[in-house]
Formats: sequence, C-alpha cells, structure tokens
Amino acid sequence: MALDLQPPDGRKRVKVYELRDNDWFDRGTGFCTGQMVGEEHRIFVESEDQPNRVLLETRITKDDGYQKQQGFCPTISGFGQTLIVWTEQNGTDMALSFQEAEGCAVIWEFVNSVQQHLNLNAADDALSDDLESYQTIALPPPELRNLPEIEQIVRAASMTQAGRDALSKFIIRDEYIGKLVPLVETAEDLESLADLHRLCNIMKSLILLNDNTIIETVVADQAILGVVGALEYDPEFPTHKANHRQYLADQSRYKEVVPIKDPIIRRKIRSTWRLQYLKDVVLARILDDPTFSVLNSLIFFNQMEIVNHIQTNAPFLRELFHLFDGRNTDIRRKDDAVQFLHQCAAIAKNLQAPSRAQLFANFIGHGLFAVIAFAVKHPNPAMRTTGIDILVALLDHDPVMMRGYMLKAVNEKKTPLTDTLIDLLHTETDLGVKNQLADAIKILLDPQIPLQDPLARAGPDYFKVRSANLLNDAFVQQHFDDSSKRLFQPLKHLANRASLNDLTFQEVTLYSHLVDILTFFVRQHLFRTRNAIHSESLAPRVAQLLTAHQKPLKLVALKFFRTLISLQDTFYQALMTHNNTFGLILDIVYETMPRDNLLNSACLELFEFIKRENVKPFILHVVEKYREKLENITYVDTFQNLILRYEQMQGYGAEAEPLFSNEDDSTPRRMPLNGQRWQGVKEMDAAEEDYFGTSDDEDDWHQDNRAAIAASTSNGSTPADKPLVDYPDDDDEDEDAMDTKPEALSTQPLQAESTTAVDAPGETGSEAGSTSSSPAQTPPPERLAEKRRREEEDEDELMKLAAGPKRRSSTSSNSGAGFLNRKKSLSIGPIGTGEKGTGILGGTAPKRIAINLSPTTKSPVSESDKSTTDAPGETNENDKPDDSQGDGGG
Amino acid sequence: MSDLDRAIEQLRACRLIPESQVRELCYKARELLIEEGNVVSVDAPVTICGDIHGQFHDLMELFRVGGDVPDTNYLFMGDFVDRGFYSLESFLLLLCLKVRYPDRITLIRGNHESRQITTVYGFYDECIRKYGSANVWRYCCEVFDYLALGAIVLGASSELEPTGSSMNDTTQSTMPIDDGELETEVLNSHGEVTSTSYRPRFRPSSVASNDSRNISPPRDISAASGSTGTPTRTGVPGTGASADGNGSATTSRTGAVLCVHGGLSPLIDSVDKIRLIDRKQEVPHEGAMCDLLWSDPDEIEGWGLSPRGAGFLFGGDIVKQFNHLNGLSLVARAHQLVMEGYKEMFDGGIVTVWSAPNYCYRCGNVAAILELGEDTSNGGTIARSNGEYGRSNGVLGEGNTVVSPGRRYRVFEAAAQDTRGMPAKKPVADYFL
Repeated sequence: MALDLQPPDGRKRVKVYELRDNDWFDRGTGFCTGQMVGEEHRIFVESEDQPNRVLLETRITKDDGYQKQQGFCPTISGFGQTLIVWTEQNGTDMALSFQEAEGCAVIWEFVNSVQQHLNLNAADDALSDDLESYQTIALPPPELRNLPEIEQIVRAASMTQAGRDALSKFIIRDEYIGKLVPLVETAEDLESLADLHRLCNIMKSLILLNDNTIIETVVADQAILGVVGALEYDPEFPTHKANHRQYLADQSRYKEVVPIKDPIIRRKIRSTWRLQYLKDVVLARILDDPTFSVLNSLIFFNQMEIVNHIQTNAPFLRELFHLFDGRNTDIRRKDDAVQFLHQCAAIAKNLQAPSRAQLFANFIGHGLFAVIAFAVKHPNPAMRTTGIDILVALLDHDPVMMRGYMLKAVNEKKTPLTDTLIDLLHTETDLGVKNQLADAIKILLDPQIPLQDPLARAGPDYFKVRSANLLNDAFVQQHFDDSSKRLFQPLKHLANRASLNDLTFQEVTLYSHLVDILTFFVRQHLFRTRNAIHSESLAPRVAQLLTAHQKPLKLVALKFFRTLISLQDTFYQALMTHNNTFGLILDIVYETMPRDNLLNSACLELFEFIKRENVKPFILHVVEKYREKLENITYVDTFQNLILRYEQMQGYGAEAEPLFSNEDDSTPRRMPLNGQRWQGVKEMDAAEEDYFGTSDDEDDWHQDNRAAIAASTSNGSTPADKPLVDYPDDDDEDEDAMDTKPEALSTQPLQAESTTAVDAPGETGSEAGSTSSSPAQTPPPERLAEKRRREEEDEDELMKLAAGPKRRSSTSSNSGAGFLNRKKSLSIGPIGTGEKGTGILGGTAPKRIAINLSPTTKSPVSESDKSTTDAPGETNENDKPDDSQGDGGG
Repeated sequence: MSDLDRAIEQLRACRLIPESQVRELCYKARELLIEEGNVVSVDAPVTICGDIHGQFHDLMELFRVGGDVPDTNYLFMGDFVDRGFYSLESFLLLLCLKVRYPDRITLIRGNHESRQITTVYGFYDECIRKYGSANVWRYCCEVFDYLALGAIVLGASSELEPTGSSMNDTTQSTMPIDDGELETEVLNSHGEVTSTSYRPRFRPSSVASNDSRNISPPRDISAASGSTGTPTRTGVPGTGASADGNGSATTSRTGAVLCVHGGLSPLIDSVDKIRLIDRKQEVPHEGAMCDLLWSDPDEIEGWGLSPRGAGFLFGGDIVKQFNHLNGLSLVARAHQLVMEGYKEMFDGGIVTVWSAPNYCYRCGNVAAILELGEDTSNGGTIARSNGEYGRSNGVLGEGNTVVSPGRRYRVFEAAAQDTRGMPAKKPVADYFL
C-alpha cells in the first residue's frame, strides 16, 4: 500500500474548472501533479504560462466524492475518460479536464489509492476527526413510528455535503443500518406497505451517501438480506416487488471447483458478488456516478485481493490444474475449471498491467495452455468459445509474450498453438467460434512484433520470453510463411474450382475470414506477406471471389484490393495490374450500376481513391485497358474524371508539376513516398511495357515483380531491411512514452497520423470544389490550419527518422472485433479507456527504427506539444464538464 | 405463423430469442442492408425517430403513440443500443421488423452502432450477460457495419392535415384553414394538439398575423435540470422561416429531408458525396463517415471543434448552405438529448429528434417522433430529383427556395411504470469468484 501512495511521476496537462453560478469557470491551464506534503496527499496544478502560479492545491480526503467521467457529461457519449470531478471541503464543485485519458488515469489512480489508504486508517480516527467542524446529526431511534421523521431527516441531510458527512458519521458510529434491518421484517409482518416504501427510500439514501464504510456494512452477511429486502419495495413501482432476497440467499449460485479455504477470501468473494448485484440490479436505475464509482472501486479492490490470493496459493493452483491431467475423467469438473479460469481472466482485464502479467505468467506456468487446448477442442461450442476467450485475454494482454511461447514451441519441434487453431478454423462450424478463432490467429501470426516493449507489462517471465522472441528474423519469417501456407490452403484450392456458384454457407464464411486475415496481414506487414501471397498466388484467388454470388464475400475481396491500392507499393500494384482484377471490379460496378447500394459505393470509393490520390500506375492501367468500360459509366463523374486525369498525364508528361504538388498536399507520406513512388512509377512503366508485350497470363506477374523488388533495393535499402522501416515509428514512441513522459510524447505522434488522415480528405473537398460547381463549404479553418502546421513539424521529424511509407490510419478498418481497440490507431486524443489503452498501443506497435534516434525526435515533439491543445478530444474551451447539463446526449 | 413472426411476438414481450435465431436474423438483415445505398430513399409518409438506447419499454410506448409496424412507416436514426438495459431486445425487435417489413421500416446507423462504443457504454456487457458469450455481440456488430448512413425522405407534404383525424390517415384533406397552411403541430401522447403554427398561403412575403411562430416546446429549456451546456437560447428559434419569401412560388415544392444520426461534415458538401463512402467498416475516428454520425449543430458560425472528441460542431450558415445546395428543406438528426423531445434550430433548417424518454432512467426528459405526411397534390408522383443533386450534373433550384414539409411532432413520456416492471440488468447466473 505504501508503495502505491507514491505520487505519480510526470506532469499531466489539465484545465482546472470551478463551478460558479451553475457554470464551469475556467481557472486556467496548467500541469497537474500528485504530491505528498508531510502526511497529506495533494493534487497540485501549476499554471502553464506562469510556472509559479498555483491554479489548484487540494488535499485528498477520504470522503470527497471523486468521480472519473467519460469526458464532458455523463449522458453524452464521447471518447475516453478525461475528467475528474469532485466537491471541495468548502462545497465548491471542481473539475480537472485532462488533455489525455491516460494522464487522467494516472491521477485517478493516485486519488483512489490515497482514499483507499485513508479509509483503512479511518477506522481508528473516524470518530475523533474534526467532528466539531460539521454539524452533528442524530436520527431518532429506529422504530416504525419514527420512519417518516427518519426519512425526512435523511433526505434533508443528503442535500448538502456537510449534511452527508455528518449523517454518514452518525450512521457508522451508531451502527444504524443494523438497527434498521429488523424493521423490514416487522413491516412485512404488519403488511405495512407505506413503512416498507419509507424503509426503501431510507436505504437508498443511505447507500447513495456514497461512503465506503456504509456500503461495506450493507453487503456484510448480517445486513445484506435486510437491506435488499427493503429495496424490494420501491415506491416508484408500487405494484411491484422485486425478489432480491431470493436471489442473494441462493447459496447454490456459488460454485467451487477447488474449495478456497481462507475465510477472509471467501467473505470477499461473497461480498464482491453482492456488490455486483447491487450495482447491476438493485440500484441499476438510481445509481449516481459517485456511488457507481465507489461500488466499482470496492469491487476492484476486492477482486485484486482475491486474485492475489489465488495466485499465491500454490496448493490451490496445483489442484486446479491437476484436473486437466489425463487421468481425471470428471468432465463436469474440468468444464467448471475452464469456466473458473475464464472468470479469472475476465477479472484480470481490469487489473493493473503488472499484476495481470503476474497472474497470467503464473497460470501459464501451471499449464494454462493445456487448458486452452482442452477447451478449444471441446464438443460443446459454448466451451470452445470460453476457451478461446481465455486465449484472447492472453493475447490482448501481451501478444509478444504469446508469440514468444509459440515460436518457442516451433523451435522445440512441438506443434505450435497456431497450427491447432488454423486447423480448427478450417473445420469449425459454429460461426461465433470461427470468428474468434480468426481473430486469435490474426494476432498470433502477426509477424511484426514490437521489440521494444514498455516495461510496464514485464512479468516475471518477461525476459525469458523476450529472449525466445529474439529468434532470428529469418526464423520468424519462416514460421510466418509456413503458417500462412497452412492457413490459406483452402483459398489456394479455389484455383481448381471452375465456378463459384455452388459455394456452401460454411465455405463462404471461411473464405471471408481468410481474406479478412490476409487483408490484415498485408496492411500490417506488406513486406513479410509478400512471400505468402506470391508463393501461393493468392491474389488471383481473391480476385476469383469477386465473382462469387454472395455479396458479402465480394465485399471482403474488394476490401482486400482496396487495401492493396492504399499501400501504394509496386509489388502489390503489379499484382493488381497483371490480373484482370480491375475488370472484375468494373464488372461489379456494371452489375450494380443503376442501383445505389453498398457494393456499388464500395467500388466507387475505390476508384475515387485512385483518382484522388492520383495513383498513376492504376490510372494508366485502368484507362488504357478498360477505357471503353469507363466511358460507359456516366451516372457518376468518377470515371470520367479518371480518364481526364489520364489525359492530363499524357498531355503534360508524367512528371507534371501540378500533379506533383497536389500530391504533396494530399498524401501523408510525402517524404518517404515520393522517392519510392516515383521510383516505382518508372519501374512500373517498364513493367507495363513488358506486360503489354506478353500475354494476360496471371502467373507471369512475378517476373516483373522481381524487377520491382530490385528497384526498391536500388532505392537504398534491401528488401530484407524494409520491414524495419515499414511502419511509422509513432506507436513505438508512444509506448516508450508511457513509462517516461506520457504527457509530452504520447499524443504527439498520434497527432501525426490523425493530421495526415484528416488532411487528405480535406483536400478532396476543395479539389472537388474546383471541378464541380463549387459548393464552397467552408472547411473548419482552425483545425485544418492547425493540423497543417503540425504536419510540417511531423514531417521534419519523419525526415530525420528516414522512415518508410506510413501506414494510413484512415484506410485501416478492422473487422477483428475483439482486437479492435488495439488495432485502431488512436488517432484522436483520448480513445479507449484506462488499462485497455495501454494494451492498445502495445498491439500495433511495430518495430522501432532505432532507439538512438529518439533523443533527436524529442525536441520537436515537446515543442509542438502546445499546438496539440486544440485537437479534438483534448481539453479545450468548450469542455464544460457538467453533470446536470440537460442538452446533449447519445 | 412464420418463425420470424414468432420471434417478433416473443421480442415484443421483451423475451429474447435463442442465439441461433439471432444469427439467422442477422444474416438475413445483412442480405437486405447490403442492397441499401449509403443514403436510403424513403417516401413519405414516414415517422422519424431518434435515439432509443435500449429503452425497450419506451420503444413499445413509441409504437403505441406513433402506430404499429407495418401500419406506420418508420425511420429510426440510430443509437438503438447502449445505456438502457434492454439494448438486445430493442435492437433485435427493430431488426426483425426490418427483415419482416423491409419497405416499412428504415434503420440507419448511429455512433453507438460501433464495436468500440458498445464495449464502453453497455451493449457488449449486456450481450455477455444475456447470452453468456460475445457471439451475439459480434453478429450485431457485423450488422451495424451494413447499416445505411443516412436517409432522404421524398414526397413529403408541405402542409399538415389538421389533426383530429386518425394518426395514420394519409389522405390529404383538401382545404385547410383559410389563412394559412398548417405547418407544424405538436401533439401529446393522447393525440391532443398542444401547439400549432401556420405558414401564409399565396401571400408574398407577408407574415401571417395569427402565426404562432415559435413552436418551441412549452418547457423552458434552460430551466430543465439546470442545463448549462449549450449557450442558453431563450426561446428556441422559431420554425418555418421557409415561409419567408417563398410563399409567392405557387408551384412550391416541398424539399427533401435528409436524415442522419449526427449531422453534417466539412468533407461532405452534397448528398451525393455520401454515396462515395465505403460504409462497411467500424465507425472511423475521423472523416466523413465519422462526422455524419458524431457532429452536432451549434449556435456558431461555420465549423467548430466538438467536445465529444469526434465529429464537428456546425452552425446555421453551414446548414442553410447545405440545404440550399442539395434542394433540402430540412435536416433531421438525433444524437443529442433535448428535454422536450425535439428541437428545431436555424430557422427550421435542422431538427433534433430524441426518442428516449427519461433518458438513462433519470434525465427527466420527454421524447418525440416526427411525422411527415405524404404529398398527394400531384397524384402521388414524387419529385424524384430532390436530393439527387449532382447525379446527372443537374443543379436544382434555379433560385427557387424549397418549402419545408409539414411537421407533426408527437411527444411522449416514459412508459407507465406498471407496464414494464423495474428496469434492471440481468444478474449473473453463477459465479466462481
């Protein structure tokens, strides 16, 4: 505990608000720190402009109702939690609006642990503590005839903070709840509904006093049934009576696979369950945010203790995992054990990274993988789902660790988990399970492993696994290729199919998943995936799927090619221009043409992208080869404009200046890309000639392609090096920053991505404006201008880093549901919540370029830090954190 | 009775259907939705609804007030899930109705129809709680990806038939009150008229004397629960500004109505631009698709940053320009809680419709739905060109301002307590820890 109480490192950028006359007054912007002054813990905000001016200094007390909010207003949805709101001792409502959700989380954790600490000590000095500064409240003796008066006093006292404090003290000191409980039964015996309604109101108010001690009393064995008994008679629902007691009294709901003997832990488990029931059922409708977070934090701390107990209880773990020993034939108990572990994994998601890492490492050490293997092969689909859920929890927690284990297995010539999963994916008939399998495989095979990890997630096994992970690159590539081969086998077999008219439902789902995975690989690792696509000639197979009858399948195939296009990579460009891919896509346009539907829009978007980004090889290819087809599509001007672009190219020569500068503005990866792309275009021109000289054979593309690869080699880096600079370093930077300087570094690199992504479409607007009859919509000026400025700074940085082409966040869409959060680039400020956020960044983070470069990047970053203030999702003047705000929602 | 009808029956009773049936339903819905454009064309008459947010019993109340499917055509502007405790029942019922009566009900996507948002705001948890695994959540999210991004209502009548007549009677009574066309009407849940406004008929640039111009709902917005959010606008701007100056056009046409969940986007200057989006994806964090689902109108000029962290704020000038360019008379949207259930802004250029009464079971607001009647004046034929701006390079208008449609708001409150039991989440069945 003492350790936890160390104030957090670093300064978090915040705005300080004070509620004055029902309006949030902006006290200013500054940097927030947690500090320890003597015995007191304080939150301290120093002005940004005048470093010596203190905007806020407040002592953390045990009963200020601190709440963390989803930014802005509780009834407005937004991204991320960036607000901490509380009431000062003097009754002023205050709010801290953090620039980043993460900074918010750090301070929140600090506040929470301080309060927890204070509460532990509170037992001793609660009574002596400055009693005289509050009014004192005493309730009349708990008797039925006094209920009206009690209800009235409680209600009145709840109105003010001082009243609440005084009332809480009285309730605790007098053990009043315990005295109220017997009244419920008396009132029931007398069938006095009025009294029961009053008791219900009193109980509600007492719980909503939002005091840890009171809530803990409520869920204790002696009180719980009485309390929920009273709450069964809600005066708002006079004709109803809930049956909370029946539910909570049912002992059989608690299952034990292996008995937990420690009585304290057993009690914790019971009260946690009750707290959850209170939160979700009894109080669900009436919970206010402070009470909600008090309940949540009580649950959280209980769970932490329970989990800690479990993992330090070696005999328990041995017995648990021993159930999966081959000799045990008690299937039922095995199933329960899987469920038990599943629940542990679910709880672990809420824990802090280090404890989670420890727990998982512990489980793995005892044989968790065997459990997963047992579950995923279970005849019951629900158990398979559960098994994969556990696996997914591990993957979400630390994909690096998981891949490390997997590669270790390969190295030791054991069947790796991936092979098992791939085989299951091919045969699985339950759609839900299949979906999960596909997601799991995506992450496991993801060959681009972030090698520099935040130490935050370092578990005991960390370095051991790390070394396993450092298997040489060739080995990783080899494994990826082998697995891909296995995985995409069914796709490859499509080659032998004359027609796709007789696809079964199962086949359609399988192909959808496979193409989706392939798309993911290509987007994440265009270079590594080359081998797989090349050697298995997968692209023509995907193209084949464009002709399937099933429209969702067509869409998935289309998405694959759309992704290839957005990569702007000569290898993949060649794939598309040397098959009849565009012909097939145009066929879809023709098929759907007069109608306006999803497929049609997806096709249009693809061609719009080519036009907008001016992807020359495609414009050349499409117009030269399909000109007639294009000319016949007149219901939108996209295709005419493509032809126009083509003609401009021909007219002004390939290096036409206007096109070039246009590209500068609209493409995010200007520096690295120009070099590469122009190179590529020249090469492609050669390839085109080649191509037109030869037949349309689908398989001869790779010859040209070798040339293309050679070309990129001459560009200064070898293909083998490419993966290293494959990605924007942003994510790495960010990860690193997590530990050291979250505030300075973490948004900035992300901004770089959002900048470019926003800018590109922005360009479209004005571009379109010039071609059509000028709709002259004003673009949001500050933001774009702001972004542009920042983009320039980013570019400098990029040049220094000499990074390769950036992955585009704007085109990345993710169907991998479970991993979605992680895979999304966090382009707008605070997205994702709490712990999960950490995981998010860990996931996509690619290899970093070179550690020693980072110092050079730091100065521009912190310099430009100021400019991020106005970005969406971050603190800004419009931020009025206000509970009672009536306007705003959904 | 088909399986589907049975499922509808069951869901109407607030009982869930088995997982296998959900899977099948989602599959069928996908087949249907893939055929819809990003902007669905809907013909009047239609009833437009805003956020539902899993308040199943209030959805039932909505159907009671607005008429049942398939007797009434509905357009739901997204946010079916999250927050309330019955997201599954609500969404699955709507989806069933969609599959059963595809032409009678239109569903478009809200910002909560997203994987990321549903994991934070409740739908994900509800799926786990009620079905034991995330499978149903996955199926639903897959459907979300297929939902249209907007809808355009064509052929709405410029004036309302005076009420008193039954609510779904679409035959246009020929002669309304002499001195004006009934433009807006507000009814309570019992079908009683609480306020009306008229637009002058055939009288160039005159302002009707008996025009109860301001149809701002009776309750004072700023008084409601100490709202401090949006700058206090005393008296919501009057509606029906379209009346100004356009009364002269004897051939007045009712402009199309664009319905989106959030609002406009700086990247979208014409309705046609929306058609160029590949919508089958998770709602992105920026870009046109994101803005359509996240933006809010505000009393500003031009564009502003949104405090939500996604989308933009946009002012009256933007709305005016957009409507003019696209031959629209109105943008209907949801996305923001309005205490009175609906709120017209910018001289009636945009309206927020909110259909979740007592939001989150505690906001104390009323809800509303917006009915647009059918224009039968020219034999039921619809001026198809509306909203089709740019498709054939045709520019609408020739300076001819379009007339806004007659708007009937039905305001309703949360379902009576005794019809719904106590809303609560489903508790976990068993536990180990």
